[in-house]
Amino acid sequence: MTAQDIADEIRAFIAAEFLAGEDASDLTDDYDIVASGVIDSLGLVRLVSHIATAYRVPVDGIDITPDNFRTIAAITDLIGEHSEPVAA
Amino acid sequence: MPSPQLADAVGEHREKHADRVALSCCHRSVTYQQLDDLTRTFADRLRRLPLAPGATVCVPAHKSPETVALLLAVFRQGLVALVPSPDLGAEALARLSRRARASHLLGADEQGSVSAEPVEPDEAEAAGFAVPDPARTRLLLTTSGSTGTPKIVPIPVDGFTAFADWAGHAFHLTGDDVALSYAPLNFDLALLDVWTFLRLGAHVVLVGKEQAADARHLRELVAGRGVSFVQGVPMLHRLLAQDAEATFPAVRQAVFTGEAMPADLLPSVFAAFPEARLHNVFGCTETNDSFIHEVSRTRAGERMPIGRPLPGVRALVVGVDGTPLEGAGGGELLVSTPFQTGGYLERSLNDRVFTEIDGRVYYRTGDLVTRSADGLVHLEGRADWQVKVRGIRTNLQEVEAVIATHPDVAEAVVVALPDDQAGVRLHATVTRRPVAALTGLALRSYAGARLPRHAIPASVHITDQPLPRTSTGKPDRNRIRADRMKETSAA
Repeated sequence: MTAQDIADEIRAFIAAEFLAGEDASDLTDDYDIVASGVIDSLGLVRLVSHIATAYRVPVDGIDITPDNFRTIAAITDLIGEHSEPVAA
Repeated sequence: MPSPQLADAVGEHREKHADRVALSCCHRSVTYQQLDDLTRTFADRLRRLPLAPGATVCVPAHKSPETVALLLAVFRQGLVALVPSPDLGAEALARLSRRARASHLLGADEQGSVSAEPVEPDEAEAAGFAVPDPARTRLLLTTSGSTGTPKIVPIPVDGFTAFADWAGHAFHLTGDDVALSYAPLNFDLALLDVWTFLRLGAHVVLVGKEQAADARHLRELVAGRGVSFVQGVPMLHRLLAQDAEATFPAVRQAVFTGEAMPADLLPSVFAAFPEARLHNVFGCTETNDSFIHEVSRTRAGERMPIGRPLPGVRALVVGVDGTPLEGAGGGELLVSTPFQTGGYLERSLNDRVFTEIDGRVYYRTGDLVTRSADGLVHLEGRADWQVKVRGIRTNLQEVEAVIATHPDVAEAVVVALPDDQAGVRLHATVTRRPVAALTGLALRSYAGARLPRHAIPASVHITDQPLPRTSTGKPDRNRIRADRMKETSAA
């Protein structure tokens, strides 16, 4: 999975979970989803849980601060750094 | 009390049950003997301060046995206590003190020493504020308010006495009871779960701000201290009950208050308090409690009513034409209680909310209600655009006004939709200007730069169509809200 694939999947997840039915064309990689209220603290918990299961990111190892989840780019970076390789 | 008799009552409980616990907090407890001793020590200290008879002093509401004793000492000395939130910044605290003409800012620490800082008087700042009358009030509470300086609400001495008598009777309280005091000491809820219990010689477990979200600690307090009375917002009940393993058979009375109790929480609350009678209680700082509803374990419906007026309370439901309804119908709720304040200290605020009808003074709650033919009352929303998002008072009109300043917005309506977790969430329906390419995400960024996080709409519907109108030509908020709820429940 390339970084672009991950970014697109995260974008689709956010659009489906937090923007049901809205025009998501402005949801670019650098759109601030925290300052704009798209995800709140409860939303952050759902997002972290999704990342943990979908990308095998060990939740204990990452800082669950809004700054790490502010943009799709930041989330994609975080997944790239922390996801555990899938055993073949 | 908050009255001089309250300090006397504590003295009497000391005579009869010196070793009975009066107050406890996380790591210590104070008996009636110790509380009475501390009160006398603090009263001596107050006597040595240059205080005029009946003067007002400011005592920030730290949740500690020492602050309670200091307040008892203030009542005993015939002084008036202004009790603001301990979280108020220094500047806001000073402004509030000058408005109430408080002569000193007082505090008491865990070692039992009293601090007293003189407050610089400022008659210009106090202009328009009544001077508290110690013959009628010993306690000035403050209402939260989302913006600006809190409003100062004098609690009448006889109103408190009537309230404590009612509460003792309604909840069958005795000196053997143990209250969990969850709300801050500056909230009107403390009139019941702190002051009424001390008047009875009972035990009050003080929950500090630092422990307020710690579910395990709260459960340990309720189980370990033998708590028999629990009063609080739905969040407290969620924290206590969400762990299905924990049950609290010693709790005899559980009171829901502050905001609407979500129906999904009831089964776990029933299980957590298997022996308790359960009540939904409605009130505010200005009037204290005015409505009560006993919650049935077997017949609790989807929507919990606020019930019926307390004994001695008169309630009016006033329709849009301004006349009180007879019988069933909907409108704004006005209440007149035996416990209510004589008016805000700031006189100019009173005309808007206190109104005399047939010789009684009513308080306009700003709450919209419906009353059924048999007199049961349900809350429906606010008349003044206030809603609570995650417990924070939010003004829908202010949010609308901010959104409307976006250059691509022709018109915007913000409505509150029910939400299990947040209480309500905000939804915006926005008509964009012709040829504008505005999206909900762009509007959220704009709102996020200008509004607190809780006030940013959780959902945004952008349209090129004009908003639906009422017959008087205003945007039809009820229809927008109903349409949106239909859409989301269908999804």
